Amino acid sequence: MGIFKVFKSLVIDSLDTITKGSAKYHLWMGFLTLVMLIGMYCYSIQLEEGLSATGMSDRVSWGLYISNFTFLVGVAAAAVMLVMPTYVLKDIDFKQAVLIGEGLAVAALIMCLAFVVADMGGPSVLWHMIPGIGVFNFPNSMLTWDVIVLNGYLFINISIPFYILFKHYQNKEAKKSVYVPGAILSVFWAVGIHLVTAFLYQGLQARPFWNNALLGPRFLASAFAAGPALIILVLAVIRTFTAFKIEDKTIKKIAMIVTVAAQINLIMLVSELFKEFYAPTHHSESAYYLFFGLHGKTALLPWIWTAIPINVLATIILTFNKFRNNLKVLYVCCGLLFVAIWIEKGFGLIVPGFIPGPYGKIVEYLPSGIEIGVTISIWALGAFVFTILAKTAIGIELGELRYKDKNAENV
Amino acid sequence: MSENKKWYSLDLGLNKTKKSSGTCGCGNAEGSCSSTPKKEEELSPDEFYEAAINASIGEERHKDGFDQVFDVKMDRRSAFRKLTASLLIGAGAVSTSCSVTTGDKSKEKAQIDWEEQFKGNYKLMTDEEKQGTIERLMRSYELRTDKNISMTAENAAEDVLFGYAFNISKCQGYMNCVSACVEENNQDRNSEMQYIRIHEMKDGEGFKFDKADDNYYHEVPAEGHFYMGTQCFHCDNPPCVEVCPVQATWKEEDGLVVIDYDWCVGCRYCMAACPYDGRRFNWSKPEVPENEVNKNQHYLGNRMRKKGVMEKCTFCVQRTRKGKNPACVEACPTGARIFGNLLDPKSTIRWVLENKKVFRLKEDLGTEPKFWYFMD
Amino acid sequence: MKNRTLIYYVVLLLGISLFSCKEKDGYHSISDKIEGESRPYHGNLSSEDLLMDTELIQITEGEFTFLIPERKGQIKSFACIECHSKPVSQMKGTTAQKAHWDITLNHANSDAMDCATCHNGEDMNSLNTLTGKNIDFNLSYKLCAQCHSSQFEDWKGGAHGKKVAGWAPPRASNTCVNCHNPHSPSFETRWPVQYNTQKGIERKEGLDH
Repeated sequence: MGIFKVFKSLVIDSLDTITKGSAKYHLWMGFLTLVMLIGMYCYSIQLEEGLSATGMSDRVSWGLYISNFTFLVGVAAAAVMLVMPTYVLKDIDFKQAVLIGEGLAVAALIMCLAFVVADMGGPSVLWHMIPGIGVFNFPNSMLTWDVIVLNGYLFINISIPFYILFKHYQNKEAKKSVYVPGAILSVFWAVGIHLVTAFLYQGLQARPFWNNALLGPRFLASAFAAGPALIILVLAVIRTFTAFKIEDKTIKKIAMIVTVAAQINLIMLVSELFKEFYAPTHHSESAYYLFFGLHGKTALLPWIWTAIPINVLATIILTFNKFRNNLKVLYVCCGLLFVAIWIEKGFGLIVPGFIPGPYGKIVEYLPSGIEIGVTISIWALGAFVFTILAKTAIGIELGELRYKDKNAENV
Repeated sequence: MSENKKWYSLDLGLNKTKKSSGTCGCGNAEGSCSSTPKKEEELSPDEFYEAAINASIGEERHKDGFDQVFDVKMDRRSAFRKLTASLLIGAGAVSTSCSVTTGDKSKEKAQIDWEEQFKGNYKLMTDEEKQGTIERLMRSYELRTDKNISMTAENAAEDVLFGYAFNISKCQGYMNCVSACVEENNQDRNSEMQYIRIHEMKDGEGFKFDKADDNYYHEVPAEGHFYMGTQCFHCDNPPCVEVCPVQATWKEEDGLVVIDYDWCVGCRYCMAACPYDGRRFNWSKPEVPENEVNKNQHYLGNRMRKKGVMEKCTFCVQRTRKGKNPACVEACPTGARIFGNLLDPKSTIRWVLENKKVFRLKEDLGTEPKFWYFMD
Repeated sequence: MKNRTLIYYVVLLLGISLFSCKEKDGYHSISDKIEGESRPYHGNLSSEDLLMDTELIQITEGEFTFLIPERKGQIKSFACIECHSKPVSQMKGTTAQKAHWDITLNHANSDAMDCATCHNGEDMNSLNTLTGKNIDFNLSYKLCAQCHSSQFEDWKGGAHGKKVAGWAPPRASNTCVNCHNPHSPSFETRWPVQYNTQKGIERKEGLDH
């Protein structure tokens, strides 16, 4: 006997679960697969032609990929907002949501890694980054820190839910002494991943737009708004389509987190705007470009002026209990907030960091079709991974998936 | 190759046909270097060999800058196969070295590609290893084009620290430096990559880079304008070196900030970190017409680059480590560019630093550029 | 007891400051490094090979001793006295074939300079200082230095002008007439040698500033 047999049975059972489902489920998965295939085709073109297939240039050398990477690190980090109350503060409400949250974190991290790989000029020599085989410029390069924390976080977020589900699968109770320390560690780790990702930009003296002390905290605040907002939406979908029970109480508690984080995020935004525009210096040019355009270059205006109003609007609506407790309003607000923060952290943060360039030259950036195709397909990959994880987890939690000891039956 | 490599090297015992590539004394190209007849194990059919080659070096051939001028036109394989091939590059190389079927020449090619794919970081190589890799690269070029290049791997000389001074009052904006640099350093002609930018600035406005024009085309010097050149400043405290996750870029003992093009993973973090716009990225496969290739190359300098890697000004390492001036200095018709050894008290660059009113760009960033500006 | 804690703190502080010290080679700035490691160069690198093909002469001006290209061998019709066998005043108006007819003096204004400012009509084989002393054609820079003293200072130090080849010692600098035409010394306006069409396209598309 042994663990391997149980594991084998779990793999078989979960394969069985994820390949069966309603027509809607098959349609969903088929759609995701199609999108991924299209994305792979786009990526193959990018491999063939080089990164010139994207909209990036020597002036704006990071674009959509790194924007999404940054945003998704935040989403991954946000899983902690569910872990903390459940395991650390012993708020039982969340237990159902935690597995979903951690699944979301895993999917987000996989997307992060995929975005980084998609952004690489030489994916075939990525092994140069593996410590031991290659050369790992630790601790000097913040990127190596990021590699470490992201992979560590991925490991934690896979192992904790896996342990719990594995125990439940065998009809056993998961031992708290095993997973609680891991959960507590992951709380700190989650803050770490997003802070380190912020430091990636914050540490560049060449880019005054990023080189400000507020960047890290603002990353955290916006992540803890956007991440749980996504979790609320996902929970809503799961509630509708599966038998998995998620109480209103849970969703409302997460909504509280979203609200507070969004409010803090807005305060920081105001502080940042004040600094840039009250006494503008040469270093405020990026902010000017972002909000008002510079020398007639205005490509980012539609984005940022979409993001800021809906961000403010959603935050204000969420601030009132009456609206927040209305689930329909809540879902809409969460969607708005998610989109607003995605824009703010992508087009609103990464791109203006490069504009104007080191010598004040302005080259605008617009992602190419190839780039958009790859980006969408990586999102589809994330959705795909998450659906698989969630379906298995829900199956186990609902008791549909249980280990059947065949030896026991035979005896 | 030396035994104590500092990196992990994949040798599955399949590389027994290894020979000192590039240095075979016999001039014959078609594999007569191997005096003893090799055991030709017909392990697999030709198709398998073809597939293996495709998987292992086919993709590389496309990405590889080394063949940019050689006109090796591979037949276009389907996109998905290419994708798989690139992912399976290692596996493909294994099967290549297993299958010892076709001509010695292509086998040697495969062998070289294999060793180049899995070689270590140049920074950590011993001198023999450096010699090994440049010999492979020269041999590889010969195999692909039947033409010879000369590539060297001189290390930094002792008691040398390179520095540069630029006389703003002398520069007339002729751009001879720019075109000399492009020709010397084999930069991509398609994207017209240039390391040097000459900014045309208006008198009376000071150093307004944002209002300057770096791509003027009219008679120069234009009335009421002055000119200021920028390139990589070879900072003594280079932010680009700090941020590289794989140490593909570093500062040499003589102060040159260089890149190992084969070790670079193309993340472009260094580009974001450079406050001086000193770095360039190969967004697509760089191309130089064969007759324009500068064949006097240095591993860290003007050798052929590939798609998806960074490159930058190296103060013409292939020239300066032989005592010559960088191409831009030599080409400048006005004497606005002064280059020399900062550690030599008798050098002219030292005289400039000590006697002229010199300044550097963005000194407040603490990058300590070794590139000074001055005026008459 | 109290002292010991103090010592611990001091040691800790020192330790931290040691670790946080970012200068790997112990210099605070590049100028400190230059000062600290500066020593006369006795390395292997030399420009001698590069200078092989150039005829050079050594000059000493003040504290500087360096090489400059030999000039007389480069002048096509040297020695001048082969034609200028008589002083210029006596050759004027003769029916002898005209030479140098294409030279127009475009150097300072005519009140300040004419041919005789530099050339000695009596002895065409030498140049002529303002005070009428002879200067060898090889040392023509001395003539320029009479007026262009600041340029001369810069040239001696190495801030003005170009090296003949290579940065490595020995120092061989081009002299004034290697770059400037003495009869028309200023540089002319001309078109830049190249134009970056890719950047041009970028700008046309409105992407570049």
